[in-house]
Amino acid sequence: MHAVVELQEVYKIYTLGVQKVIALNGVSLKVEEGEFIAIMGPSGSGKSTLLNMIGCLDKPTKGRVLIAGNDTSKLNDDELTRLRRDTIGFIFQQYNLIPTLTALENVELPMIFRGLNRNEREKRANELLEKVGLEREINRKPTELSGGQQQRVAIARALANNPTILLCDEPTGNLDTKSGELIMEILTNLNKEGVTVIVVTHDPAVSEFAQRIVKIRDGKILDKRGD
Amino acid sequence: MYFELAKRNLMRTKVRTILAIIGIVIGVMAISSIGIFGEGLKKTVLERFEDIANEVIITPSFSGGYSSIDKTIVSKIEKMPYLKSVIPLKNEGSLVYLKNKKTFTTIYSLDRAAITELFEVEKGSNRLSGSCVIGSNLAERMKIRVGNKVTIKEKEFTVAGILKEEGARFDINPNNAIIISEKDFTELFNKEDYSAIIAKVESLQDIEKFKDLVEKSINSRDKKVRVLELRSILERITEAFNQINLFLLAIAGVSLLVAGVSILNIMLMSTLERTKEIGVMRAVGASRHTILRIFLYEALILGVIGSVIGGFLSIFGGYFIELAILQSAKHLFSMATLYSILQGVFFGLITAVISGFYPAFKASKLEPIEALRYE
Repeated sequence: MHAVVELQEVYKIYTLGVQKVIALNGVSLKVEEGEFIAIMGPSGSGKSTLLNMIGCLDKPTKGRVLIAGNDTSKLNDDELTRLRRDTIGFIFQQYNLIPTLTALENVELPMIFRGLNRNEREKRANELLEKVGLEREINRKPTELSGGQQQRVAIARALANNPTILLCDEPTGNLDTKSGELIMEILTNLNKEGVTVIVVTHDPAVSEFAQRIVKIRDGKILDKRGD
Repeated sequence: MYFELAKRNLMRTKVRTILAIIGIVIGVMAISSIGIFGEGLKKTVLERFEDIANEVIITPSFSGGYSSIDKTIVSKIEKMPYLKSVIPLKNEGSLVYLKNKKTFTTIYSLDRAAITELFEVEKGSNRLSGSCVIGSNLAERMKIRVGNKVTIKEKEFTVAGILKEEGARFDINPNNAIIISEKDFTELFNKEDYSAIIAKVESLQDIEKFKDLVEKSINSRDKKVRVLELRSILERITEAFNQINLFLLAIAGVSLLVAGVSILNIMLMSTLERTKEIGVMRAVGASRHTILRIFLYEALILGVIGSVIGGFLSIFGGYFIELAILQSAKHLFSMATLYSILQGVFFGLITAVISGFYPAFKASKLEPIEALRYE
């Protein structure tokens, strides 16, 4: 096993007016391939910043972030985009589906960005929607779907380009218990198939699915259970 | 698919999209219709001069100290190639008497063939033996009819014919003149030399060659004559009309500019409203270039739809303007109209794309993390 995510002494410092906000204060973390980890912490603890760092959406002020062996600080915008597209799948609390597109088209989107042809795209998108149990909703727009269904479309979209890592930011935060459990079940199954799952949450019920819980507070990792 | 995305985004805000398209339609219509009208106007004016484009007027070189063209020059020119016809002309101002009235006017000497070639006889004939042909304005003013007698320098002429009124001409203006034969003219005014030669070239391409020949064979030692080509006057008229058209187009262009600003406005709004969506697309693998493309497609769609509709409607616009101002739309179906429409469509598209570029660029420059956080 090798680390698919590695953070070395990562700092993220924002300047708000004259005030400096230290979002990450020297975070080091290794995530092995195939792991299921939960990052927990109160609001403002820096857990979302940490997730954005791993998701190549944000760059550290200091320190190194290695994703699948790539030092993100050395990559330009296009290279970071490609890394996100091919290696990382995002699942957001707000689902963030594109409202003008149907479920199928939403799942196709990352494959479009990758340049896959229509047949390949549609075939894979259908398979993925079937996998999350939405084979009958493929032509529905996000507004015609329930929250749980939308999140399942989002999972299918995140899987579109066969990512190594799934990053989930409070994936059940907007869902009722039952839908939330279904989502966690899907994520667990994906992890069993070998996908590395990193979930940010403050819900203990969610973190129970994880093999390892990373606690963060004031931009620092507190302990690493299961290390 | 990017195109599809762009299309659906536009469909999301239908009213806004339609308004932006209307803006482009109006802009393109204004430009194309005015272009069509301008061309029609130019053609209507030039049409009146069309048959004189191959005419050259040879005048004495006044600046060279010559006030007339002598016979040897005339016969030299008559022998020159490139020419279809040569009409030597004499003129003189003189008092003319009709019954108890008198007036001062221009007397031309021309032969019958020349009258036929240059003018149209409205009443009577162009017979010049002891008779004369008079211009329409003079006839009207003096109430002269065919068969009346006029006296020029104590010699009496019968009015054989009256010419049809002529429009603006650059060679001779017969409207207020009297035309008599060369024999009578020489007798009356004792003038051997000619005041001008009106010649027509076989083809317009020969004008330069003819001018060169005149320079070589007549003006080689002393500048005796000047060659004025009417084509160059036509060119100047054309040029002037082109400038007027350009000015009109610039005014019409303002409406397209306004349309451009409205596209800029709605697309900036759209960028702002879709900030989060842009963030999501960036997160799932859209490059800056992709975002730029999607937004530019939106502008392009607005531009294409607006321009095509505008281009089509401008045919009617052009038709009504020509009908209202020129009283005729006979120049509507021409290559120039097509060109004007294409020109309008082109500017419509360019405006849409340029206006869309800034919002698209702005959207593409959004940091994914900032865009995702946007609520």
